[in-house]
Amino acid sequence: MPWSLYLALKQLFPSGKRFPFFTAISVVGVMLGVALLIVSISVMGGFGREIRRMIVDTQGDVQVRAGGYLSNIDQVMGAIEGTPGVAAVSPFAEGVVMLEHQNKPAFPGLQGIDVNRINDVIPLNSYIRAGTLDFLDDDSIILSSRLARSIGARIGSVVEVYSPLLLEKIKADEVMLPRELEVVGIMEIGHQSLDSSLVIVTLRRMQELYGLGEGVHGFSIKLDEGRDPDLVSRELNARLFEVAPRAFARSWMDANQDFLFVVQLEKNMIFFLLIFIIVVAAFSVTSSLLIAVVRKTREIGLLGAMGGRTRDVALCFCWQALIIGVSGTALGVALGFTVLHFRNNIIATFTKLTGSEEALVRFYEFANLPAHLSTNDFWLIVGLAVAISTLAGVLPAWRAARLQPVEALRSE
Amino acid sequence: MASGTPILEASGLTKSFISGERTLEVLRGVDLTVEAGESVSISGESGSGKSTLLHLLAGLDACDAGTLVWEGSSQIDAERRGLFLGMVFQAFYLIPELTARDNVLMAARMVGRIGPEERQRADQLLERVGLADRANHVPAKLSGGERQRVAVARALMNRPKLLLADEPTGNLDEKTGDLIIDLLLELCRETGTALVLVTHNLAHAAKADRQVRMHDGLLA
Repeated sequence: MPWSLYLALKQLFPSGKRFPFFTAISVVGVMLGVALLIVSISVMGGFGREIRRMIVDTQGDVQVRAGGYLSNIDQVMGAIEGTPGVAAVSPFAEGVVMLEHQNKPAFPGLQGIDVNRINDVIPLNSYIRAGTLDFLDDDSIILSSRLARSIGARIGSVVEVYSPLLLEKIKADEVMLPRELEVVGIMEIGHQSLDSSLVIVTLRRMQELYGLGEGVHGFSIKLDEGRDPDLVSRELNARLFEVAPRAFARSWMDANQDFLFVVQLEKNMIFFLLIFIIVVAAFSVTSSLLIAVVRKTREIGLLGAMGGRTRDVALCFCWQALIIGVSGTALGVALGFTVLHFRNNIIATFTKLTGSEEALVRFYEFANLPAHLSTNDFWLIVGLAVAISTLAGVLPAWRAARLQPVEALRSE
Repeated sequence: MASGTPILEASGLTKSFISGERTLEVLRGVDLTVEAGESVSISGESGSGKSTLLHLLAGLDACDAGTLVWEGSSQIDAERRGLFLGMVFQAFYLIPELTARDNVLMAARMVGRIGPEERQRADQLLERVGLADRANHVPAKLSGGERQRVAVARALMNRPKLLLADEPTGNLDEKTGDLIIDLLLELCRETGTALVLVTHNLAHAAKADRQVRMHDGLLA
């Protein structure tokens, strides 16, 4: 072990003494910064991941849409299915309806799905909390959980559905009765806005409600594992141009790029702001080491007199900063992951104490606080924390290197 | 005892310091030759330039004029200094975070020679200076005399050819000071190390093989 590293270790963790106060404060500073970064970036990453999961789980990897509706379904579907990388495809039609139960109205988005194909593209079955998708036919409906609660509907309830087409006919003085559909399923995706505003019927029922005939609004597509949605979308567009020039395939990333950009921007901003905690901790390391240089001026002179080279004397202070950085980062990682592990208990206790449980779910739209830390983010935090802490030793090291041994020995 | 082979030759050393608008001439042409195994004491009043001369002899400071030759070479870099020279100071300068043994071993670490042999030598030196039972104590738990004995052991750790001692008894009581000087001279004789002892205590100076006195920047 080089003597500069040995001495740095001994100065931070001296023989026969308790953990020195200055070392403890410096390590704690870095630790808190790293822990906070890990927790914040993980939660932001968790939100981002949940949002991405939700987009893919409700839209598929790629969606094909036309400006209006597509009528040549078989041709378009054949073109899509013949494209390399496409694992499954399911047509859909969508629109807003008015829904009423026991005089309680709601205006959810209605999605018409192909019951035989949908589960190959979207894991809809896994979101059904009550009832079953198997019972969905042209006279039934599946409601999202919050919506069902808000209108007081449950399995077996009959809800009335008014489509815009129906309303148009009423305006033309035609007597039109709403469609009465029986609730056969309650689903919960875990996202507050979707769980409050989505209902599902069969594709045939939706086509009838919107007067689409045999037409559909688009297709949800699932890709083979590992396929790049953007590349497959490009290939799809080339093929679709032949059969449906108005149809356009977009990957889920492309279709939601503005939203995903905002999510990423938020995460980057939080990272940028929180990294300053580590910078402040690094200043504390610098000031502590500068004090050490002044306090140990004669020792620095002695090291020179004993044959220590200037660069090794400087290195001794850089080692100290590096050791503080590595220790603080390691402890910060441990603390950060511990907090993340108990995050839902912590949030539950906090919201219970402040009575803000409902507000939290409503505001953040997730039942549990999601967390995900990518490998890249982890190493970025660790690398930056260690690098910034180590840089904190440069100024003290430079001051120590500038001391002439003879002047240092003469100092009072 | 001197062997007749010079290990340190200083001739015509001058050194001055600028203090405000004044130039203080501290050394005004000092000549000194030290032979292997010889002990030389330099005494003189405070401020006569003894410590400045010692720093020049250690190669820690540059002289304004004159020449210095350490065992045939006029160059002494940090690494050579660590092997060729040992130094003992008035204020001991032990590293407070290290035990007595680690302080002694630090001299070996700094020249990149640390192993079982060096650990054994450090223990032997501590035993020789009477501190075998205090080897694991940090300096704060040692008395002044004990600290200086650790410093002497450290200075001899790398088997230097020359030991420079700058007022080694300045911070000790008379009795402890006498013991330290006796120990220093005895160890240097045992190991054949040349000693340059700077002191203003004439009784201590008289114990060296050769005594020189510094006055007004010159040796007499």
